[in-house]
Amino acid sequence: MNNLEFFLDKSALVGNENQILSSEEFKNLLQKESFEYINVPSFNQLKDIQAGEAGIKNALIEVDYAIAETGTVVIDSINENKRLATCLAEKLFVVMPISKLVASLNDVADFIEERTSDMGGYVAFITGASRTADIERVLTVGVHGPKEMAVYILNDL
Amino acid sequence: MNIQDKIQEKINDEVLYKNLKGFATAYKASKINAYKGLDFEALRTRVHDIKDRDLNKVMQQFNLFKANVEKHGCKVFQAKTGGDACKYIADVMKKHNAKFMVKSKSMTSEEILLNHYLEKEGLQPIETDLGEWILQLANEHPSHMVMPAIHKTRQQVAKIFSDYTGEAVDPEDIKAMVEIARRFLRESYFKAGVGMTGANVAVASTGTIGLVTNEGNARLSSTVPPVHIVLVGYEKLCDDFNQALDIVRVLPKSATGQTITSYTTWIKGRVPSHKNEDGVKETHYVFLDNGRLAFFEHPKFKEALKCVRCGSCANICPAYEMVGGHVYGDRYIGSIGLILTALYQGDEAAKDILKMCIGCRACSFNCPSGIDLQALISDLKLVVGKKYGINPIKKKVFKSLVAKPDRMKAVLSLGANFQFPLTKTNPLNQEKIIGTIPMLPKEMDFRKFPALASKTFSRRFYKDGYDQFSSERKVFFYPGCAIEYFYPEMGLAMVKLLQKSGFQVDIPKKAACCGIPAIASGDPENAKSMIYNTLDNLQGPKDYEALLVLCPTCGGAIKHEFLDFTKEDPNRYKKAAQLGDMVTPIGKFLEKNNIRFKVKGNKKVTYHTPCHDSRSLDYSAEAFLSKLIGKQFIPLTDSNVCCGFGGTYSLDFATISNGILTKKIENIEASKAEILVTDCPGCVMQINGGLMHKNVPVKVLHLTEFIEKYVELIEK
Repeated sequence: MNNLEFFLDKSALVGNENQILSSEEFKNLLQKESFEYINVPSFNQLKDIQAGEAGIKNALIEVDYAIAETGTVVIDSINENKRLATCLAEKLFVVMPISKLVASLNDVADFIEERTSDMGGYVAFITGASRTADIERVLTVGVHGPKEMAVYILNDL
Repeated sequence: MNIQDKIQEKINDEVLYKNLKGFATAYKASKINAYKGLDFEALRTRVHDIKDRDLNKVMQQFNLFKANVEKHGCKVFQAKTGGDACKYIADVMKKHNAKFMVKSKSMTSEEILLNHYLEKEGLQPIETDLGEWILQLANEHPSHMVMPAIHKTRQQVAKIFSDYTGEAVDPEDIKAMVEIARRFLRESYFKAGVGMTGANVAVASTGTIGLVTNEGNARLSSTVPPVHIVLVGYEKLCDDFNQALDIVRVLPKSATGQTITSYTTWIKGRVPSHKNEDGVKETHYVFLDNGRLAFFEHPKFKEALKCVRCGSCANICPAYEMVGGHVYGDRYIGSIGLILTALYQGDEAAKDILKMCIGCRACSFNCPSGIDLQALISDLKLVVGKKYGINPIKKKVFKSLVAKPDRMKAVLSLGANFQFPLTKTNPLNQEKIIGTIPMLPKEMDFRKFPALASKTFSRRFYKDGYDQFSSERKVFFYPGCAIEYFYPEMGLAMVKLLQKSGFQVDIPKKAACCGIPAIASGDPENAKSMIYNTLDNLQGPKDYEALLVLCPTCGGAIKHEFLDFTKEDPNRYKKAAQLGDMVTPIGKFLEKNNIRFKVKGNKKVTYHTPCHDSRSLDYSAEAFLSKLIGKQFIPLTDSNVCCGFGGTYSLDFATISNGILTKKIENIEASKAEILVTDCPGCVMQINGGLMHKNVPVKVLHLTEFIEKYVELIEK
């Protein structure tokens, strides 16, 4: 399996919706869908909101890296509103340029090191929705954070 | 409540039985899946190496971590004791007039009983991990490190939630219960003045912590409140992110069988935080000693500081599976719980629970940090046995009987001659058993006991002239007590087979015990006498191709424990080391020498792997047997899980032993095999005894007996 196949496999395993799109298709999608919080610098799309106790319906966030080994996306969340949005959105949408996909966990070691070397640092690995199995080991999503997660993989970026 | 009453209470708890059994089965499958394509041995060796360090090294890591966070205005506090840590955390809360503190899961906070302390100070910690919250509301402590409320049913949780919220809760609807937790805990993040987390790793090179969670509660606890306190033991420090990621790679796989958790979060203190006047979070690190630091310098117990708190030692422990973490452990649970209780809380607190380890070694082989947990427990058993004494009857039996080979032989021969009023023939399989044992406590009556053999193995060996066969090719056979006194036919079957294949078999001049019963019971003095007796009665390694054993527990003792007990005696140590290298289970010897067989008959056969074959001698005859008999072989579910014997363990903790055996018998019955083969006389005693007690018509044979009866040697 190549990295993308590996990523898709692991990402599907945790219940994520995965969609492979071109940049054009993604732009069309942006026109149609509405998001409460957006942070997608590659397309100059920013919509800021400070999520509070009531939470927000959804958030769309561009990832810094994705890891094939585990189906994980890596998001530098030092920006407080971005952090709150990923924690408090009912559904989390992430945008993943295919060029950001790496093979293994250790491939992002340097990135975490760089982003947490100075004052304040918050790098999040996210692999699916918030989940628990604390009652009778029954897997239940959405215990604290997002109840669903979707990954848009941009195959030309 | 004494330990036996506590055990009984848990054994009677059907919910616990069902939950733990279900988890154990599901866990094994998902763990295999999570590690698929990866080299578990290589990964755990790596984690072991990362965590292999002395006090000097760990303090270097600490100083670097400290410098990295202090330079940005974080506070670092070194807590010598749990009390110091609690006080510091309470003071931070008071300074900020924070009535509430949201906490994500932290076993370290359980270790120091933080919640009790804060509540006494009039402060309110709120557990935000769902399992921990349930237990906080129920005023209980975790029974598992990663699944704290595994002992609770949905109905119990519904009742707890309904009492707390005053709302009606559907006792079947887990999703609705999770929604309630979401609603109530969401509010708590926003009203809390302080958030507290633990740390799964603390990376020295930058001063970053890593948190592994599924629920996302650690993210909210570390993000929403204006103050973040990190409570962490020094052992969680590592050098850099490559090390940290190597730990993160194994932790969730071994904990719950997940490839990775939903969230792994890397936090460096003083992040932007709008709730603070200066817009920056106040961050505190509380590094906990509480006895840890001393053990970084201990030659053996430093191993325990390599634990990553995954809980896998509980997940695969057959005794834990019977009683759960409220009995099998204390503040920490599972094998590591027994050890850390002794190290952190003192041997007095651990002396009873240590005995509950059956010694199957499954934990040692599953630990993702490569800690030989069972060996540490065994060492601690000897320490507490010496200090607090062991069962006086056992002590007397060991001292005046088992450690004195001549007397043992005389007494057991006498027993063999005079047991006849008690013995009878079991109608199901025509085996000679003890009919009823006078005054046997009811809980011990779960299996039939074999009668003592009328003549010992050694006696028949010499009397029938097996010592007369000579050959260039020689092997030495150590029969051990079970073959010598109960099952000589297993030994004789092997001798006949080997002689037919051209091997001369020599045996010890005098039968002596390998010492394991005394070691397992925590009696080092008598263990030493037994080991010296055995060692002195074994011929030297010269001239022999192998030291054969039919009891892998004895074999494991010669290979491993003999070295520990002969350290102060160079001659004996050398002999033990040389003999240890030669220890070979019979199946392995047959395979190695390419001794060939063909099958007679068409019986369906299954195989139980003895714990000490697979985990002390690194061998299982399963492949050999399945190749030998082809389609007639049926694999046994959980073949390498303990049968519950453990020698005198099966009397000391009869209910646990019986529970483990019951599961083994369920698997044997499900296999539909007519014969169960194994290669340990202890396993035969336990499994055959249980099958006879339950009238299950499956024949139990040692590998050597099976070969004698059901396959034919192809002579060269």
